[in-house]
Amino acid sequence: MGSDWFEFTVNFIKMILIFLMMVQIVPLLVWVERRGSAFIQNRLGPNRVGPLGLMQLLADAVKFLTKEEFVPARGHSMLFYLAPIAAMIPATLALAAIPLSVPIHVEAFEWLGQNWGPYVFKFQGYDFGIGIVFVLGVSSLAAYALLLAGYASNNKYALFGALRASAQTISYELAMGLSIVGVILLFGTFSFSEMVTAQAHALSFSFFGQPVEISWLPNWGIFYQPLGALILFAAMFAEANRLPFDLPEAEGELVAGYHTEYSGFKFNMFFIGEYGHMLVASALMVIFYFGGYTLYPWLTPATVSSWFADLSPTKASLFTALVLHVVLLLKIVVFLWIFIWARWTLPRFRYDQLMDLGWRKMLPWALFNTVVTAIAILVMRHQWGQ
Amino acid sequence: MIYEALGFYSLSLFILFFAYKTITVPNPVHSALYLVLTMMGLAGTFFNLGAEFIAGVQLIVYAGAVMVLFVMVLMLFDLKAELRSFSRGLLSGSLKVMASALLAGMALGAIKNSVDPAGLQPPAEISANATRQIGVLLYTQYLFAFEVLGVLLLVVAVGVVAVSRMKGGTHAKH
Repeated sequence: MGSDWFEFTVNFIKMILIFLMMVQIVPLLVWVERRGSAFIQNRLGPNRVGPLGLMQLLADAVKFLTKEEFVPARGHSMLFYLAPIAAMIPATLALAAIPLSVPIHVEAFEWLGQNWGPYVFKFQGYDFGIGIVFVLGVSSLAAYALLLAGYASNNKYALFGALRASAQTISYELAMGLSIVGVILLFGTFSFSEMVTAQAHALSFSFFGQPVEISWLPNWGIFYQPLGALILFAAMFAEANRLPFDLPEAEGELVAGYHTEYSGFKFNMFFIGEYGHMLVASALMVIFYFGGYTLYPWLTPATVSSWFADLSPTKASLFTALVLHVVLLLKIVVFLWIFIWARWTLPRFRYDQLMDLGWRKMLPWALFNTVVTAIAILVMRHQWGQ
Repeated sequence: MIYEALGFYSLSLFILFFAYKTITVPNPVHSALYLVLTMMGLAGTFFNLGAEFIAGVQLIVYAGAVMVLFVMVLMLFDLKAELRSFSRGLLSGSLKVMASALLAGMALGAIKNSVDPAGLQPPAEISANATRQIGVLLYTQYLFAFEVLGVLLLVVAVGVVAVSRMKGGTHAKH
């Protein structure tokens, strides 16, 4: 956490800020979802409370906090309370492990009659050495929240929703994990920040041992792994239980699925978990395939820090990190919009179609992608004719 | 060092407590959920010991996939018959005692035959390249064992498919 009180405090505040970022993005996304869906369906959506209906979020929050708290009489009350908490933990932990910008270097300084520093603050909650494995690990725990909710509710619809959710999560997790293997092979690292650094220069690869460089394109993963990106994105929809994969809460069949019995703030926590999942999924897509917090050739750590060359090194480092953070956020917003857009465009799958897609199409294609990537890397990087 | 030791002992207490709950609660779903917590504690212990990759894999494979399947299957079946089959008779009781004695003996033997950890030197550089080292070891020195494990899992999968296609499936009455 830190070697002295200053570092400890800053790291602690940073963790809280990243958590709040996830929680605070939820009302905004709900607003975008409701207004966006309204425009897609040629209606107006909530536009009465405040400008553009933005105050609707506050009204919703008040409603969530003041609703009657309800626990099914014959349910398992302990597990019933545990499920919403379990829904929020995986997304929170996963987001904490994702680097949101370059580290901030703070020079040694004097304050309160003491010498402090120098420090390096990473722009992320906590740096796990094996970022990708950790994020996959904690997000695979998300199924428990749904299982617990369904089981504890003592309601047939809720239980059906929970069973569907767990079957779906397991089926799509395989394809998701395998689709990432291609990117890991390509960049040769498990660390998110190394992966982003590898994408911050011109597209360069070796073609049968001959180095090729295309200076006007960035070295993004999407140019090497289009199939992997597609499979990962589809699997992310399934993991976040979003349409067209929202069978766990299919309204037409299951009332509201696993959260049928939940009301008020407990329901809201499931909501935060789902949107947190979307946020993590978008961040993963951006970091694996779309250059993370860099945008070659204009916005790389080198170019942005040259803008602030006449400031002190601490300030320059801080501003560089903030600019690159905004770059990452803008890219994430694009993917979040695609999540919302797809929800109001595609119809829900039938259950057998869902299983068929997961096991018979996405899993073989992800395996194929892994094997072909491995062979291509071996052949292309071999020094032919030497 | 002191933090690592603190983490190790508190995680060990966590694991032991939930492992105890796993085998003593009567409700099979609760039992499986306690087992999940035990698995998470194990992952935490691995992480605490610096084996980050194994901690992540423990989370993905056991806590995230295997136990989700367990809990799901337990919820799917009507468990009244299984609850009754946890009989308190003399024969089954003595079988249970024998099985646990066998397990305890095996665990003791494994501990007795293993290398004394105090004599081991920690490798100079672990966390940075541990994953690469594990991969290289698995595909060179331990390749045969690795492949045999793969075949074993395949045999199990084929067996499960064969059993599930029997008439009446796993709940066949005859």
